[in-house]
Amino acid sequence: MYYVKGVGMTKFGVHSKTSQELCYEAVMEALEDANMQLSDIDQIIISKGDSLHDGERQRLFQGVLSNILGCEDIPIFRVTAACSGGGSAFWDAVHSGKKNVLVLGVEKLSPCLTKYLTDEFMMAAERIYEQTEGLNFPAQNALVAQQYMIKYGATSDDLALIALKNHENAFDNPKAKFYKKKVTLDMIKKSPVVASPLRLFDCSISVDGAAAAIISKDKTDIKIAGSSLYAGRLSTFESPDMSTWEATVLAAKDAYNEAGVTHEDIDFVEVHDAFTPVELLSYEDLGFAKKGQGPKLIRDGTTKINGSLPVNTSGGLKAKGHPVSATGVSQIYEIVRQMRGRCDKRQLDRTRTGLAHNVGGAGSTVTVHILKNLGG
Amino acid sequence: MIVRWVCEKDNRKWIYPIKKCLYCGEPVKKQVGRKTKVIGLTKVNIPSPLHPITPYNIILLEDEFGNRMPKKTMKDYKIGDVYSIEKAKTDSAVIITKIKYDLGESLKESLNLLNSFDIEKQDKVLIKPCIIEPAYPYQTSNTSPKLLDEIIKMLKDMGVSDIIVGDQAMPGNDTTASAKKSGILDVCKKNDIPLVDLRKSQYIEKTEDGMKFSIAKEIMERKVINVPVMKTNSQLGVSGAMENMLRVVDENTQMEMFAVDIEKTLPKLIKALPKFVTIGDATIGMHAQGPTLLGEPAFMNMLFISKDPVALDSAFSEVGMLPTPEYIKEATGINEYDAYVKKLEIVGDELEAARYHLKVPDKTASAHPRIKLIDAKSNPLVFYTALKASSKLVGLPGHEINIAMGKFLTEEMVNGKKRIIAYGTDAINKLKELNITPIAEVPEDMGDIEKLTLLKSILENPDKKSVSVKDKMKSKLAGLGAKIKGAF
Repeated sequence: MYYVKGVGMTKFGVHSKTSQELCYEAVMEALEDANMQLSDIDQIIISKGDSLHDGERQRLFQGVLSNILGCEDIPIFRVTAACSGGGSAFWDAVHSGKKNVLVLGVEKLSPCLTKYLTDEFMMAAERIYEQTEGLNFPAQNALVAQQYMIKYGATSDDLALIALKNHENAFDNPKAKFYKKKVTLDMIKKSPVVASPLRLFDCSISVDGAAAAIISKDKTDIKIAGSSLYAGRLSTFESPDMSTWEATVLAAKDAYNEAGVTHEDIDFVEVHDAFTPVELLSYEDLGFAKKGQGPKLIRDGTTKINGSLPVNTSGGLKAKGHPVSATGVSQIYEIVRQMRGRCDKRQLDRTRTGLAHNVGGAGSTVTVHILKNLGG
Repeated sequence: MIVRWVCEKDNRKWIYPIKKCLYCGEPVKKQVGRKTKVIGLTKVNIPSPLHPITPYNIILLEDEFGNRMPKKTMKDYKIGDVYSIEKAKTDSAVIITKIKYDLGESLKESLNLLNSFDIEKQDKVLIKPCIIEPAYPYQTSNTSPKLLDEIIKMLKDMGVSDIIVGDQAMPGNDTTASAKKSGILDVCKKNDIPLVDLRKSQYIEKTEDGMKFSIAKEIMERKVINVPVMKTNSQLGVSGAMENMLRVVDENTQMEMFAVDIEKTLPKLIKALPKFVTIGDATIGMHAQGPTLLGEPAFMNMLFISKDPVALDSAFSEVGMLPTPEYIKEATGINEYDAYVKKLEIVGDELEAARYHLKVPDKTASAHPRIKLIDAKSNPLVFYTALKASSKLVGLPGHEINIAMGKFLTEEMVNGKKRIIAYGTDAINKLKELNITPIAEVPEDMGDIEKLTLLKSILENPDKKSVSVKDKMKSKLAGLGAKIKGAF
């Protein structure tokens, strides 16, 4: 059984800092939060993507991390799983068997030109059927949203409400890219179409950032009650039902079983809203709504910060920002901070059980983690 | 067409060609859906290196088995529309196919889209691949052995029994050695098909528009399937359907074609040849400094098929977003061939939706950054030996030199250039005619070692204004030394 000792995170946004510096900042905060020293750590698991265009040209990042942390005597293991890299690294840590494990996700995306970034992200899609047909991730998720809309009658207005909710939450999150930046429903609905029906504000924002978590076998106030990972089909068009991401359903089921809870026990959630329809689908795939009933949760305010099931109090990938490999760990950061009562204006009342949902590709690799607050 | 491999026992499906179900061990069957309709669509507005032109549409297709695939298109569809591909109407149509894992099925499906595939089982068939130099398949200098194998398989399935594979390597390269390294020889042996070195053929003379061609007998007597690798070409712009047929004539004719002007004589050769069908191999394809090993694999994953080689090359250069080569412009209007893109009949994948940004070759580049080429339509022997020499000097520090080649050199081409080397007899004579004194002269018959020693000394010495007797002696001695070494 593992517990969370400490967490750390840089502000998500455009940084002049290098990946190394971002790592250092997140790790330092996590160590201080855990009241530990690096020498207490038995293993480090890092997630970071490879880029030809970020100007850093650092592919063996384990070694880079060893340099910046000065920790030659600690085994470092690297995980890449596109947008689910952070969640996958956290899952690996939970299954490592080591006593104290530092999990870290980092990404430096701002130096990449948008066209290269679109292309690099597209490499997480299937090459022959998807990449060659121009199916980048906005397009993939646009097709998913459309299939959902056709089947269940959801609308673009529902998606806009999800974007608005997450921007409202990010407004009060000092570590979010959109901190103190007012975004209105009108701005969302009038934003340019990226891949119909998705508009710019339906898409998360690519940023720089790092997030870290230290987990331990020593008991703390936060227990990692459930940890699950599934790798479904790479191509969402191959799913029998494109409006359900089977890997999410399976991962949620396993995590609930392991934690001995049901969806009804979950107080708040950090969902992988790389695109607004993913949040909508996930309401259902995680069990919070029956199929086709997801839009109701956003329409009636259930998933707002003052609702009965707050989703993405951090602002989510949409408005906190999405530094790919760091995202999954940043979700853990938010849950832990909520459980420890450190979220100021965003602070929730009920934080007994929280769930983090991280996705790589269009529903391909999914992790679900359930954390229990033993302190409150 | 949507293809899946299905385990009938538990209905698991794969997009990849596999033989047995990994769960139950039962053989897997291929499921080919042909009745497709549009079940979803999106208009994409963000460009990327693979898809630089926006907006474009992606339609989601579903077949009669419930299998789906996305398809890029510039046309506007509605949900519920039937998606079908019409057959070609003319001989000049070009079939463009993006291969979806199953090369054999893609090949058959593409050929079915021709208005007619004029090969019958009683025909004698020559498959003319591209076998230019000893290179591994991944290096894409030569036709993909996998594609060749699929073509032979398809012909055999049609009942065609008299099949040969024939080509000749570029001047200076051995055909059999090239076929061996490329994997083509293995495919021939596996299928019990003879590999014919067209360099050793009997030749038939044919005159076209005042140009005399000595054409390999097999080309004139057999139905020909031309299988070029679709590449960029740093001399011609594109190596494809037309350029691949250059090597069906003897070496003297090839040299003469360059001497007269390859951009004008290549269309004449095509006109002189009996009609043939081309299966353009862009399973990988090549771009940048093609068509030899200096080029890079392009990973296009496409086939270009046509009975009109001019139209095919034109379509390829459009898909690759390359400048239209001069030889295609020259070829416009010969017979019924028509290179005007606007008039091209494209079948299968849409040209606009198949756009694939290829790297345009730099005509002045050699393998060494300090060795620049001034190429005035030099013949392949001169051009490629110069490239080979430059590749042997890669990594050496040095100062810019300009290798001038070809008989079409003009004052304008060499104006302002310093440290010029006259490479090949044509360039030596032409520079004399232009009253330009090169730093050195390298005739075709100079030995490789001697040539390299000379180029190296010029590259390394910035003050060298001309080659001294001492330099010449040194390089000759180096050449002689290599010969003596070789003898032992």
